[in-house]
Amino acid sequence: MATYQEFIQQNEDRDGVRFSWNLWPSSRLEATRLVVPVSCLFTPLKERPDLPPIQYEPVLCSRANCKAVLNPLCQVDFRAKIWACNFCFQRNPFPPSYAGISEMNQPAELMPQFSTIEYIVQRGPPTPLIFLYVVDTCLEEEDLQALKESLQMSLSLLPPNALVGLITFGRMVQVHELSCEGIAKSYVFRGTKELTPKQIQEMLGLTKPSPSGQQGRPMAAPNTTASCRFLQPVHRVDMNLTDLLGELQRDPWPVPQGKRPLRSTGVALSVAVSLLEGTFPNTGARVMLFIGGPPTQGPGMVVGDELKTPIRSWHDIQKDNARHLKKATKYYEAMANRSAVNGHSIDIYACALDQTGLLEMKCLSNLTGGHIVMGDSFNTSLFKQTFQRVFSKDYNSDFRMAFGGVLEVKTSRELKVCGAIGPCVTLNSKSPSVSENEMGVGGTTQWKVCSLNPSTTLGMYFEVVNQHNAPIPQGGRGAIQFITQYQHSNTQRRIRVSTVARNWADAQTQIQHIESSFDQEAAAVLMARLGVFRAESEEGPDVLRWLDRQLIRLCQKFGQFNKDDPTSFRLSETLSLYPQFMFHLRRSPFLQVFNNSPDESSYYRHHFVRQDLTQSLIMIQPILYSYSFYGPPEPVLLDSSSILPDRILLMDTFFQLVIYHGETIAQWQKASYQEMAEYENFKQLLQAPLDDAQEILQTRFPMPRYINTEHGGSQARFLLSKVNPSQTHNNLYAMGQETGAPILTDDVSLQVFMDHLKKLAVSSSA
Amino acid sequence: MDDMYVKPGNQERGWNDPPQFSYGLQMAHGPPKNLLNKRVAPPQASGAGTPPMIPPISSPLAPPPSGVTAPPPHPARPPPASAATPPPSLGPMRNRSEAESSQSACEPDVEHVVSVLKRALAACRQAVKDQVCNDVEKRLRLLEDSWRSGRLSLPVRKRMDTLSSELQMGHWDSADEIHRSLMVDHVTEVSQWMVGVKRLIAETRKLSPELLEPLQKVVQPSAEPDRNAAESVDAESVQESVDPVCADPVHDSEPPIQAGLGPDSAEPIQDPASQS
Repeated sequence: MATYQEFIQQNEDRDGVRFSWNLWPSSRLEATRLVVPVSCLFTPLKERPDLPPIQYEPVLCSRANCKAVLNPLCQVDFRAKIWACNFCFQRNPFPPSYAGISEMNQPAELMPQFSTIEYIVQRGPPTPLIFLYVVDTCLEEEDLQALKESLQMSLSLLPPNALVGLITFGRMVQVHELSCEGIAKSYVFRGTKELTPKQIQEMLGLTKPSPSGQQGRPMAAPNTTASCRFLQPVHRVDMNLTDLLGELQRDPWPVPQGKRPLRSTGVALSVAVSLLEGTFPNTGARVMLFIGGPPTQGPGMVVGDELKTPIRSWHDIQKDNARHLKKATKYYEAMANRSAVNGHSIDIYACALDQTGLLEMKCLSNLTGGHIVMGDSFNTSLFKQTFQRVFSKDYNSDFRMAFGGVLEVKTSRELKVCGAIGPCVTLNSKSPSVSENEMGVGGTTQWKVCSLNPSTTLGMYFEVVNQHNAPIPQGGRGAIQFITQYQHSNTQRRIRVSTVARNWADAQTQIQHIESSFDQEAAAVLMARLGVFRAESEEGPDVLRWLDRQLIRLCQKFGQFNKDDPTSFRLSETLSLYPQFMFHLRRSPFLQVFNNSPDESSYYRHHFVRQDLTQSLIMIQPILYSYSFYGPPEPVLLDSSSILPDRILLMDTFFQLVIYHGETIAQWQKASYQEMAEYENFKQLLQAPLDDAQEILQTRFPMPRYINTEHGGSQARFLLSKVNPSQTHNNLYAMGQETGAPILTDDVSLQVFMDHLKKLAVSSSA
Repeated sequence: MDDMYVKPGNQERGWNDPPQFSYGLQMAHGPPKNLLNKRVAPPQASGAGTPPMIPPISSPLAPPPSGVTAPPPHPARPPPASAATPPPSLGPMRNRSEAESSQSACEPDVEHVVSVLKRALAACRQAVKDQVCNDVEKRLRLLEDSWRSGRLSLPVRKRMDTLSSELQMGHWDSADEIHRSLMVDHVTEVSQWMVGVKRLIAETRKLSPELLEPLQKVVQPSAEPDRNAAESVDAESVQESVDPVCADPVHDSEPPIQAGLGPDSAEPIQDPASQS
């Protein structure tokens, strides 16, 4: 039998799923005692080069409130041509086209290797992808120039038949007509006035004499001509749009000394959302917002135009002293929800040195699956390359983006769905398998994910419902089916179905089996997502206390110890990394706001709740590799003791890549040994981490910051602030010999944290 | 490798701005070689507060006086190095600048490039709206002006030369890919007129074979080196197929891929010279 590690890897590769537990406790009570809920990280569009989509419709269970998809776990009677649903046990006849099936001749969806399968289905006419650029013109000349060039460049990366539109804004909002001939025209809106969607659509001429009788047909039938003025195929308007972009000027209104430019981001977005709502509801579309500063007027303003009033800080927020916060947040939330209903996603590219209001605007992207990218200037490689990567392609030369996703979850009767955490909104789909115990976005079995890519990952939380006195019989399996409907970037409608099952286990007799089925990496990320989800609404200390309590309970449950003897405490290998993950999570910017602006916190959390397991784990506990003459590069403890004079360290925190030269290495380099032929090996040693860093830089989205530093360098702080401070100025002299690098901090170290944890875990009074 | 390079980020505007990768390099990126995703568990049995054990290291306890420290192991005194240090990778970090790449490759000829583009435009005239053609023409003039007035860098000129040859041979996808690489790597230089070239590629690929004939015929007279290498859009081939005049070594391993999805791509367009 394969090890659990192999099993977990295989399941992630095949189904894009990582469960906290790979054996499920057979009763509700036992499940609660395991502390970490039965839950999984699910990557709906996990890249599967080896999985060709099939060209027919999925076969559904005929029970009206089930409609699960035929899958390899279903019992099939080949002679009677009947299959039994493994979720509701309904017996279903096969459709006529399956008349020829037999044991020897099975359709793909019945074969075990197709537990994940993708269908191409016919649904309505294909619609092109839509990209609506919403561009702030209150930028410095250099930034505007760089942004214009990036936008012109993007026209070469878009699919030729994609529709593209342009809205620019400063004090006023301009919607540009894109025609291939004649003069450039635009519609101008005042940036201060809140308009209803209907008013905007009327002003743009989108709702003219719409044929009476509201028809359900959402496609662009009634107002194609109007929409054509603003949204045109790239291949038709690329030349004019290139010129139009090239001629964009900075906002002409003068900005008096001591003032911020007047930036009507709120109205601009409202126009963009209304334009798409009126022309292409329920069609994949991306609003791409480019901003160089905060909204300063009209609805959605985040800060006034007086420079002497700084934009809100965490301190202001805690003191309830952020004047515009609530109102602006409410404004953008309403817009995000409207956009999500229409299936349109909103990206925010914010490039400025100060905050731009991401805290208030984050929901625009978080609820619609859009990207948030935060940089210092549009004229940086960080922005330019990140933006290029939005249009990256996969092994099939298809864009790595999908639209209008609807994720539905079916469970066998012993399980209920508590909720999801990720870039999604609820579709309020009630069903018997909805749990009352909400975790994340709950109360539903369906979520909308307006925009996804192959790494988009949701945390899904479940509940075991069987009572303790009536546990599930041994040997049975529980099953979960994920059904993701989406619009592929090649405009096909597709449905991907993943059906997974795990064995039930009696937690009283098989606790060791359950323990060995624990996936500590998945569990750490899933618990962290719960923590971050709470942190968005609760006070920081409460979240930390909650996480601590969960950790202590888990250690009490699975630690080996003699009561009241902390030194006897041991954790098995399957849990050995877990406390360390929690230690670093507590110090991470996802839960600590100290030293981060509200915008930064929003930005970090945005990325944390959507990346796949590997990337999320890097965010929780950065990766540290050490390069030396003593062996090949090796992972080392994220600990100050790893900072040694004759090593080079490479640290990846997801948002930053740091290369750090130890003291001796730095001296050798200064002495230019690397340039002497006889020290070729030193040259190679210097090169190795650069090459590895480059590998990461070439694939990471968004592009991380890149820091090359050395012992004593001011930028070494990025490394020093992340490592476990096992040696500090407080214990330096007690240690006798100096190894590693002492950190000037009063933070507790992992050792102290572990000692406390052990004490609490073994305590009989806890 | 002209178009495989990394240049430093904009440190002036962006704090710790990462390096910028060329289009060719980004496209050529395969699966990662060594995934750095391992972690080590902290030692479990630790007395209160003691730091984890670390392997003994050779460096002395006191910080060494600068310069006295032993330099890295000398090759003569076999260090663990040969095994330890990773092999020199062919990492592209090395070729930092494309400008420094050899001038020895012959200078692309503006006449040749522009004449191919103009012939392509002439072919389009018969099928495409005047207004579009005029717009394209305007941009080709811009291209010619910038080239003649010396405002185009060598990499741009070289890639334009390759692009025109690809266009002439009907390798639409390859030409289009070069256009994209130019837009990504040299947008400041090319953005104004490149969109005209882009449109030209798009319109030319839709033309019927008869209309294309005048464009392609011109290839024949010159002793055309085999261009099969250009079939792949990947960077090396782009580099290798330079101006027809400076003939490149023959690559005859693979047939050209007519990867075009356009309606006309069913009609194979053979490079006449490649048929021996």
